[in-house]
Amino acid sequence: MTKAKEATTPVLRLTDVQKSFGPVHALKSVSLEIHRGEVIGLIGENGAGKSTLLKILTGIYQPDRGTIAVNGATMKFRNPRDSASAGIGVVHQEQSLFTNLTVAENIAMNGAASKGYGTTFGFYRWGKLNKAAAQTLEIIGSRLNPKTRVGDLSFVDRQMVEIARAISVDTSKNATPLVILDEPTSLLERGETAILEREIRKLKDFGSVIFVSHRLDEIIRNCDRILVMRNGELVADRVTTSVTEDELFKLMVGHESHATKHERRARPVNETPAIEVTGLTRKGKFKNISLSLHPGRVTAIVGTSGSGREEFSRALFGAEKFDGGTIMLNGRAARGWRIPKAVKRGMGFVPAERKVEGMVGGFTAAENIVLTHPGDAAFGPFLKPWKRNKIAQQWFTTLDVRPNDISQNLERFSGGNQQKVVMAKWLNDPELRVLVLDHPLRGLDPGAAETVNEQIKAACKKGTAVILLADTLEEALEMGDDVIVMRDGIVSASYDLTVDNPSTLDLLERMV
Amino acid sequence: MAPTQTSESPADVKVDTAAIRAREQVTARRVVFAGSGEPLALIGAMVVLIAIFSILNPRFATIENLQNVLNQASLPLIIGLGATFVILIGSIDLSVEGVMGASGVAFVLLSANSRGGQDTGIWAWVLPLLLAAALGLTSGLIYTMLRVPSFIVTLGMWFVGFGIATILYGTDAYPELTDDTITLWVAKITFGLPNVFWVAAILTAIMAIVLRFTRFGRVALAIGNNEEIARSNGMPIIKNKIFIFIVAGLFSGLAGILATMQMGGTSNHIGDGYLFITIPAVVIGGTSLGGGKGGMFRTAIGVLLLTILNNGLVLAGVSPSYQSAVSGAILVVAIVATAWPQRGRLRIAK
Repeated sequence: MTKAKEATTPVLRLTDVQKSFGPVHALKSVSLEIHRGEVIGLIGENGAGKSTLLKILTGIYQPDRGTIAVNGATMKFRNPRDSASAGIGVVHQEQSLFTNLTVAENIAMNGAASKGYGTTFGFYRWGKLNKAAAQTLEIIGSRLNPKTRVGDLSFVDRQMVEIARAISVDTSKNATPLVILDEPTSLLERGETAILEREIRKLKDFGSVIFVSHRLDEIIRNCDRILVMRNGELVADRVTTSVTEDELFKLMVGHESHATKHERRARPVNETPAIEVTGLTRKGKFKNISLSLHPGRVTAIVGTSGSGREEFSRALFGAEKFDGGTIMLNGRAARGWRIPKAVKRGMGFVPAERKVEGMVGGFTAAENIVLTHPGDAAFGPFLKPWKRNKIAQQWFTTLDVRPNDISQNLERFSGGNQQKVVMAKWLNDPELRVLVLDHPLRGLDPGAAETVNEQIKAACKKGTAVILLADTLEEALEMGDDVIVMRDGIVSASYDLTVDNPSTLDLLERMV
Repeated sequence: MAPTQTSESPADVKVDTAAIRAREQVTARRVVFAGSGEPLALIGAMVVLIAIFSILNPRFATIENLQNVLNQASLPLIIGLGATFVILIGSIDLSVEGVMGASGVAFVLLSANSRGGQDTGIWAWVLPLLLAAALGLTSGLIYTMLRVPSFIVTLGMWFVGFGIATILYGTDAYPELTDDTITLWVAKITFGLPNVFWVAAILTAIMAIVLRFTRFGRVALAIGNNEEIARSNGMPIIKNKIFIFIVAGLFSGLAGILATMQMGGTSNHIGDGYLFITIPAVVIGGTSLGGGKGGMFRTAIGVLLLTILNNGLVLAGVSPSYQSAVSGAILVVAIVATAWPQRGRLRIAK
């Protein structure tokens, strides 16, 4: 092979790759090329075919038609092992590490799948294994101890282990590993995202990257080229320097953004607050927090992961205890505060751990919607299924839930559509006074995020007070009427956005 | 609190690498001691128990009683080793007592015994163990291939094993081993400790090595932690699970033979009561019923703790009619105490 030819052979080339599931065309003829040292952004709404494409690249699905070529050689990936030995490594959206095993073992997992790596006759050679892991970690500039149990690491450190594992794929035949980062930042705080972005730039030096994310600003910041998918097709292939966020949104969703601006409501005087907190304290978590929320206003709370804002918001909803202070709802004190009481008094809570705390995956979407506030569907202790379905269908139409099938189990919907149903569950309470939202946009594509935000604004118009733990500072500034900054368990700053106009830098300075 | 890691303009994100490095090193140092707290607490509990029982009855803290305790602890420990492996992959094996009965009766009938019959020599050992392994293999196959929960499968195999034992036992008189060298060997003292305990101790060491140093053991831990990920990493899940059930069957079978040797004879009921001490011992030792967490030495500590408890209650003069209720109540308390540190807010007891 001549040198010139080597330079032009793409690391990965897909030609006319297709995949159907029954009558559903998940991928309709996708062709693409990725070159050495490129960072490719891959975006698209949930259901656009991104995950199908990734699953084909990682050997979980086999394409119905088309070819995959790695460094010019046509390959067939029958299982994840084949894909790993061709040099393709993945950092999954939901971390896929064994928390009870060591860093070294987890990194070796790609290699361990191919026999003989660090083992002799089935016996582990810990020394060799640890050394190899240390070398891989060194490449990405991490000094993690390979003997550490993964369960003892912080989230971002685990992400480092994931990256190390992804680049430790068998590169004997292929000098340039291709690393797929599947929404790696969706669960990270801002500072942690910066660490990860540093890693992505390092990966460019010796490999190629496919970066999947729903955050368009992040995509533009990190990628050389952006591929947009819609309805199972590649609809655009753009060089980053020539696109804007708005343009990408339009390419993804197929129409312009309908987002309306949040109409801010000035802080009223002489009005009973929807919820008033005085001196709320929990030892070691948060201290002496006082605030009052008025109907129709959004209070955004920002802070780093140790700031205590999660614990505080959970305590408001009665999901965690507090040691001191009082909570007043509509002028009445809350005693023996527990979730059932909070719900009865008109509070709602959308948790960050949607799958664990926010929904019953094995119930249908309709059952989930009427779970806490059955409304008209209730008939004494019984439920009227026809009414339940009618209510659910109304919410499905309002929120544009896809697929439009209320009788499917909720676990089978995509994350964005699940979140819409979780929102509907609380919005179905006509008396909803306070809605606590813990990272409501986490892992949502821009289309679904827009729908959720529109519903928050609609709830405000109906007189609900909202507490928002936003993913980003930009989100907090856009949605909030008030912004409260927490640091080390106390309120370090508080802004009324109808009066003040803080920048993200102002907020950041008071966060750390 | 970490220093500022981001600046306003997204284009030039500055990262304080020194701070990150420092943090990484702190994590590494902390972890050296992580996880050793629980076994230490158990050993502490054991010391307290020994102190209390020694005060209640001076005969408790004697060499003879220590040998006695180790003699009693050996069989639950051997069964516990297999059970630990099964529990580590998130399954459970309830067939212990049935498998013990089957192998025990088979062993006595194939040896020189009071019912007459042939002494088959080495086959008296091999055939009962093969029978036990076959019972384990059957459980493993039904569990993995037909995807029936191990709880149900092994509950059934318990009674299949017991049925085999009953058929083999027949209706004749209680068969006793006639060769005294065999019956006396188990309790014989070598280097100050009973032989049967040495068997258990060596097996514990072997199983600890298997768990720590072999791919088989590590894959078992991985399966227990997250079977989905193990599958997508191309690990041999079904093979691993079936093999673990065979090992568990083998250990139960060996325990059946050793129990028969201890008693000098056997009936189909030889295994009665062993399940009740084994599974709690594994759990109290700190092996999580959810899988993925635990180990062989932990099980050894758990077995010793429970054996000391039972032995101490006898020596303390607790009436036999109360003993079962008292040790049951203490077991529940012990398990609650073990599970206490792990009750996270997202944990739901089922």
